[in-house]
Amino acid sequence: MLSQLGGGIGSLAFLDLLNREALAAERNKNPLAPKPQQVPAKAKAVISIFCYGGVSHVDTFDPKPELLKRQGERMTGVGDVVASMGTPGGLMPSFWKFKKYGQSGLEVSELFPNIAQHADDIAVIRSMNALSPAHGPALFQMNTGTILAGAPSVGSWVTYGLGTENENLPGYVVFTDNRGGPINGAPNWGNGYMPAAYQGTQFRSSGPPIVDLRPPADRTNEEQVEWLKILNKLNETHLEKNPLDSELSARIYTYELAYKMQTSATEAIDINKETAATRELYGLDDDVTGYFGRQALMARRLVERGVRYVQLYSGGGNFEPSWDAHWDLKGNHEQHCAETDKPIAGLIKDLKSRGLFDSTLIVWHSEFGRLPISERMDGRDHNAYGFSVWLAGGGVKGGTVVGATDQYGYRAVENPKSVYDLHATILRLVGLDFDKLTYRFNGRDMRLTDVHGHLIPEVLA
Amino acid sequence: MFHRRSVASLFACGLLLPIPVLHAADAYSILQKNCFVCHGAAKTSGLDLRTSDSMLAGGMHGAVIVPSDPEQSRLYKLITHVAEPAMPPGKKLADDDIETLRIWIEAGAPYPKIDAKQADAAEKAAQAKLEERPITESERNYWAFRPVHASAPPKVAEAAWNINPIDAFALSAMKAKGLKPSPRADKRTLVRRAYIDLTGLPPTPADIDAFVKDSSPDAWPKLIDQLLASPAYGERWARHWMDLARYADSDGFEFDKDRPEAWRYRDYLVNAFNSDKPYDKFIKEQLAGDEYITKDTPPDIARESIIATGFLRLGPSGGGGGERGKQDSLDDIVATTSMTFIGMTVGCARCHNHKFDPIPQKDYYRIQSVFYSTRPYTYPLVGATDVAKYRAEVNRITELQRPFRKAKADLEAPYQKKLIDEAISKLPDYMQEAWRTPADKRTDGQKLNVQQIEKTLTNDTLAHKIDEPMIVSLMTEEERKKHQELNDKIEELETQKPAMYPTAMAITDSGPTPQSSYFLMRGVPDAKGSLMQPGVLTVASAVEYIFPKAPEGAQTTWRRRGFAEWVASPDNPLTPRVMVNRIWQHHFGEGIVRTPSNFGKMGEQPSHPQLLDWLAAQFVQKGWSMKAMHRLMMNSELYQMSSNDNMADVSIDPENRLFWRMPRERVEAEVLRDSMLAVSGKLDRKLGGACIFPYISPDIFQGSSHRTWPGKADDDPATFRRSIYVFSKRSIRYPLFEAYDQPNLINTCDRRNRSTISPQALLLMNNNFIITQANFFAERVRKEAGSAPAAQVELAFQLALGRAPTPSEKTSSVAYVSANPKRLAEFCQAMFNLNEFAYRP
Repeated sequence: MLSQLGGGIGSLAFLDLLNREALAAERNKNPLAPKPQQVPAKAKAVISIFCYGGVSHVDTFDPKPELLKRQGERMTGVGDVVASMGTPGGLMPSFWKFKKYGQSGLEVSELFPNIAQHADDIAVIRSMNALSPAHGPALFQMNTGTILAGAPSVGSWVTYGLGTENENLPGYVVFTDNRGGPINGAPNWGNGYMPAAYQGTQFRSSGPPIVDLRPPADRTNEEQVEWLKILNKLNETHLEKNPLDSELSARIYTYELAYKMQTSATEAIDINKETAATRELYGLDDDVTGYFGRQALMARRLVERGVRYVQLYSGGGNFEPSWDAHWDLKGNHEQHCAETDKPIAGLIKDLKSRGLFDSTLIVWHSEFGRLPISERMDGRDHNAYGFSVWLAGGGVKGGTVVGATDQYGYRAVENPKSVYDLHATILRLVGLDFDKLTYRFNGRDMRLTDVHGHLIPEVLA
Repeated sequence: MFHRRSVASLFACGLLLPIPVLHAADAYSILQKNCFVCHGAAKTSGLDLRTSDSMLAGGMHGAVIVPSDPEQSRLYKLITHVAEPAMPPGKKLADDDIETLRIWIEAGAPYPKIDAKQADAAEKAAQAKLEERPITESERNYWAFRPVHASAPPKVAEAAWNINPIDAFALSAMKAKGLKPSPRADKRTLVRRAYIDLTGLPPTPADIDAFVKDSSPDAWPKLIDQLLASPAYGERWARHWMDLARYADSDGFEFDKDRPEAWRYRDYLVNAFNSDKPYDKFIKEQLAGDEYITKDTPPDIARESIIATGFLRLGPSGGGGGERGKQDSLDDIVATTSMTFIGMTVGCARCHNHKFDPIPQKDYYRIQSVFYSTRPYTYPLVGATDVAKYRAEVNRITELQRPFRKAKADLEAPYQKKLIDEAISKLPDYMQEAWRTPADKRTDGQKLNVQQIEKTLTNDTLAHKIDEPMIVSLMTEEERKKHQELNDKIEELETQKPAMYPTAMAITDSGPTPQSSYFLMRGVPDAKGSLMQPGVLTVASAVEYIFPKAPEGAQTTWRRRGFAEWVASPDNPLTPRVMVNRIWQHHFGEGIVRTPSNFGKMGEQPSHPQLLDWLAAQFVQKGWSMKAMHRLMMNSELYQMSSNDNMADVSIDPENRLFWRMPRERVEAEVLRDSMLAVSGKLDRKLGGACIFPYISPDIFQGSSHRTWPGKADDDPATFRRSIYVFSKRSIRYPLFEAYDQPNLINTCDRRNRSTISPQALLLMNNNFIITQANFFAERVRKEAGSAPAAQVELAFQLALGRAPTPSEKTSSVAYVSANPKRLAEFCQAMFNLNEFAYRP
């Protein structure tokens, strides 16, 4: 692919301006230059699938027969019942049936028939708990480790720790739901106190992927190349006075990267040449699965091209459909599961057939789960005390279930896992040591997991 | 040990009656001594070991004791360091103690009868121990805590470097390392440097000309005075302070509500810098402006003082309520205040004593108590009678609406009932059964469900299970008409309500009596230690600081005033050092201490400690005048050095720690944007007022909580104002600012990151605002230089870079521009992209 792009830029005389050694130095100075893993690990890239709003675990990956047996009863014996929106109801049975799948017999509800086919590939953590039952802080915690704003996101830590394999693409890419982004906005994929190089770049899934990626319509490629040539020519005089300042030559080099990115970013998400079989696999031609399917496929294409961290959101913000099923849980989860089930299963299958499954870590999660009791008669309220996430891919022990919630699915009681633990494990799976990966800020060596976090050994293959 | 063990086995064999009193008491005292500090009231990881019940309940990571099975007990695994994390942190219990606990678990982990009084006393004693963290003499002797001591500047052989003591200090340090100062920069470079540093804008060709031609000996000091007198100076330096103050125009978090009047604080800053408000006063106003006002304070000064307290309101809000939310907000205030004014990371001592600096956790909570009694204050910028008038008018109209609302509700009632009955008939059987069961016969669960049904079907604006359109659709034609009329009347009255009067975001105390605040063990809101009295940083205060008592009739506690007096005292060793270092940093690229908000051990040590002290002393002596500091620094030889490379010095001091040259500095995002507007000729210099909303692509803000950004078109002159006026929304960042390292608007920022990344290049290559300004620039060049490419190139260079092109630059540029008529605008855009344009020389 690089050779395809090389043609235009060769004439830009970047190499005349900077000798090859200097150029190599610029590459190293690039904050996104690839860095070695701190500990051996299989996964090189992460795809985070964020189901915004809160997936109901007792309706998807954590079956609770007790809910049917005791439907309508008051939930007791599990401590205070905290319902964010007030007016807690009685226990509400699931609308869906669970079945065992694969060799492992992992239980999945009928909401995810396609993901269920990969039961032996996924490790479900059923004993997650988070610090806040409010979307804003919980979203921040899942993305950055802390419930407060202002810290770097997991993707920033991963790109900070490992750089990226393809300097012609951003190292960390985010796709929001087509109905709108999640609440909190860009700080969800922000670089916090780290340099701008580590922030997530939001990609659009149609048209030019990045805002300002393409030159204005009336500027041809030739014109742009000519423009870059005069720019470089004029930068020369200034550089002559400061030949030792690598920051200046690094800045010149960013124009070469930017020029290449115009083509490579567009190419990376251009799915027109994908085969009919691939289109079918991700459900691209179906109205329900089409949108998320495209994003899942783009995620695969980006990972294939060396992007380090891709985050896909399912579910819009406060004013759009999201997984936040305060009422009509049935309609809500049927819609969102239908939208994502086939594309996610397709992604797993596709990564496998391309030999990328072992080098890619997939993390499927929400910011929290939902209560076993009813809200507004047929919905469920937020629950941060117990919920499920799953991991799959490089270094993950498939067909695993870790921990358990109580008989209702309210609190994680057996082998409880915190978001810190999840983050420590994600870092470990891509070869980073959560304890040693630090960034100095305001006099402290900051960590993604702060002073917390334990690996979750049960999910490591 | 052997003895104890054998006794235990005897219990196990049933040969002896188990009387584990001794073990229980021993075990309890071991736990009490070693574990309760974290796993007592502080409930770290949710674990409370103080009672048998709470111990058996375990913590966030599950059970810690499996009675009678030590090997399976997590507590035992952790104290034997078989599992992670090893406990207690940083040490291992004595073997005997471990063995005692093992036997105790084996015996079923019984708790002794605890004498509540004694336990309470023991706990209090442990707490007191936790709260005491004495400061040693040698800790007080750390450079930053010693009083400022101005020693006489050294003498150097070079006469020109003996005039300004800055030069004498700096040159003698250079000489000691074999460094040579860089030669003086040429006048064109100097004038550009001074303009960018003091105003954030490039000089015009006329400005440059005037300075270059002025050969009088005081041309340079005159230029500095002129720039310091320009209103643009305040705009430039207010922005530096906004970084520290984590300024933004919205709340952040989920709802990220706008703060439409936050800008009044920004205008306060611009005005403070422009009027050279003495720095001590500047501090006092921001921390406690409201507590300095008396009956006799002139209204405009009172108003300024209150707006200044907005500093304490600028942190994000809406992240969570309750005591935890309050603690987080206070933490933002304590951390930001201590870093900003005294360069200390007091925030690190929220959960434990500071790990590196002599900052006891108690100092954190004593400083927190200074701010604990504050409340947000929406300060009316109109008189009390106007406020009363506004309220009365709103109430009057609400009263007029009342009968219409009542009539509307009556009209809706029968249809609403019908819809409710229908909805209930569709519920699952167990819910319907709950509804049908008579109230006095309902089970607990049924009661909950009935409550829920009632609330959801009658009073729920979110779910809209039954909403107004559904009700109206069932009405007769006549009723529908009446309903509409009622709605119209209510709405018409609503529009008559007066607009809210202007206000400022300020802070004040809830009253003259302080609210009680406590030392919190491990920072946990429920784990209260002793009652806190207000305090200052112990290590930086030679004698115990006595807070002033609020006078009779005071409206506030005067705690912030007391704290501000300490911070702004000429004897405070930190305050003047920290501020002169910041001014230095913005002139010389880096501070004398390169971690400007952290003068502690984890920060950098000063490269020129004596110079720093001399400057700090000067600052206080000159009445805390910031403009005097600019003059002092900029009139040095050091400031006027060239920024070019110098091989010999680079090899000795590659990081320029001894300031042997003026570093080239990439200008900030705001300076870049403002420079483009200035060069294109479009910059609107209007000072202050409400924010502007330049265009942002909807693709960017569709990812925010609220999908609105009232952006104006790129060619709308309303947006041609300086960047300091761009609305700073925490969830919607202006892309140019974000790419060029404007801080995250959430944490205080003492030094911006300086990234060099390709998205910056993409933006300057392709963004429509940049292209629009390049077109204006070209238009201007065409108008002023005519149609000859040579003249156009010449003028474009002068406007953008303040110099003529070199012959070789001119040849290539003219060739480029001549190729076709589109080229001039593209050439002008290239000017905006040049390194020379983006770096302060």
